[in-house]
Amino acid sequence: MIQVRQVHKSYGDLHVLKGVNLEIAKGQVMCMIGPSGSGKSTLLRCINLLVHPDQGDIYIGDVRITSPEIRPEWVRQQVGMVFQSFNLFTHLTALKNVLLGLTRVKKMDSEEARRKATWELQRVGLGDKLDSYPAQLSGGQQQRVAIARALAMDPKAMLFDEPTSALDPEYIHEVLDVMTQLANEGMTMLVVTHEMGFAKNAASEVVFMDQGQIVEHGTPAEIFERPGHDRTKAFVSKILG
Amino acid sequence: MRRAVAAAAAAVAFAVVVWLGYRGLYDVTYAQSIVDDLLDGLVVTLVAVAVVIPVGLVVGFSFGWARTTRSWVLRATGTTYVEFFRSMPPLVLIVFSSLVIGLLLRAYLYVENPFVIALGVGMLALALHSGSYQAEIVRAGILSVPTGQVEAAEALGLTRVQTMFRVTLPQAFRVSLPALGNEFAVVIKDTSLISAIGGLELSFQGTILVNSAIRLNLNYVFIIWVEIALLYFVLTTIVTLAVRKVENRYGVPGLEAAAL
Repeated sequence: MIQVRQVHKSYGDLHVLKGVNLEIAKGQVMCMIGPSGSGKSTLLRCINLLVHPDQGDIYIGDVRITSPEIRPEWVRQQVGMVFQSFNLFTHLTALKNVLLGLTRVKKMDSEEARRKATWELQRVGLGDKLDSYPAQLSGGQQQRVAIARALAMDPKAMLFDEPTSALDPEYIHEVLDVMTQLANEGMTMLVVTHEMGFAKNAASEVVFMDQGQIVEHGTPAEIFERPGHDRTKAFVSKILG
Repeated sequence: MRRAVAAAAAAVAFAVVVWLGYRGLYDVTYAQSIVDDLLDGLVVTLVAVAVVIPVGLVVGFSFGWARTTRSWVLRATGTTYVEFFRSMPPLVLIVFSSLVIGLLLRAYLYVENPFVIALGVGMLALALHSGSYQAEIVRAGILSVPTGQVEAAEALGLTRVQTMFRVTLPQAFRVSLPALGNEFAVVIKDTSLISAIGGLELSFQGTILVNSAIRLNLNYVFIIWVEIALLYFVLTTIVTLAVRKVENRYGVPGLEAAAL
């Protein structure tokens, strides 16, 4: 479904990604862990071309999205993205946040778009918050709106960039529940998270990234219980506390 | 409480007028006789305001946006524009524009009397001047929109242009409104500078009245300027209230400023 081949990215002298390879099968849920600054967010942003890689190729299905003929807008309709800081449009209600992409990108007519947006919000348990503005919602609710907004575009895969890191502990489970449900429905997902519970329940594979490279990958049990690499061991013991 | 304060203020104002009349400073017959002339001037001022504010707003949005783009050519153009027009006193700009445009008209269109175009030149100069201030207001508004929202819009598949018009500008506009209202109030009063090149607006009408009244009675001069001040006050109040209406319409529940 998604293939990343030898991707490099630098910002000035800072070599953020140093030849990353990754392959995610259709319907697979992959979790990515690693210290901050290891390049996880940049890798995610390369997959929907928010960041263009300097070298290497990325494929979505059979399409080489790093080819210059590919429109970034097209790529972004194939892969949805959820951000650490929600990034809802603060001047629009929950419903209109979801509607924007449907009417402007998918060019749906307004009646159909409204039905679809309402359904997506009901799916994340926010059917009663359609007309609330982001500032009137809790962090957990905002993140669920953001998930609904991304899902409404019918993406083939979803990218999550530390979706629960900015949340108060009491709201984390409601977001993880929605993500687990999505995983069970067969969505292809790449999730940057340090939520071990989610990784163990939902993910089939965990990759550990450090200093711009994928150091190790394996099942959740392998990575969390019997990490092979010293850097993985050190990091896992830190997040296990 | 609010009504009581307003009533008290009105009472004080009324008392001041009565006192002025008592001192012989307010001749009602004369005050009425000049109203028509001043209204002629007010119409011209209204035209100037109605042109300068929207044109200045378009100029402000264009250059303010230019200064936030990724293209260095656009940014440099925006910065040059703002720094040039912001550093020039509006009076100098109006006089200078009148001279330059007057020269061009005489040279190429054989128009002899530059006064016929005074209003147009004055409005243009003021719009360009106000545009430079509004550009900075708009730029501040655009910078207030978190980059994460732009990223989110692009991640949904919106184009740059759609992101600009659907996500960034509506929020920048909301944040800019109080400062824009302030600038509009300044523009209204700056239109009086058009009198310097012969635009027959409100304050120029006042000056003409003063020239004839000053030989009759010095108190008339006072009356003239009081009426002019009142007309500017009313005009500014109307525009300010209109801006506040728009502010309320663009208000976002949950984002109101905290009441102290």
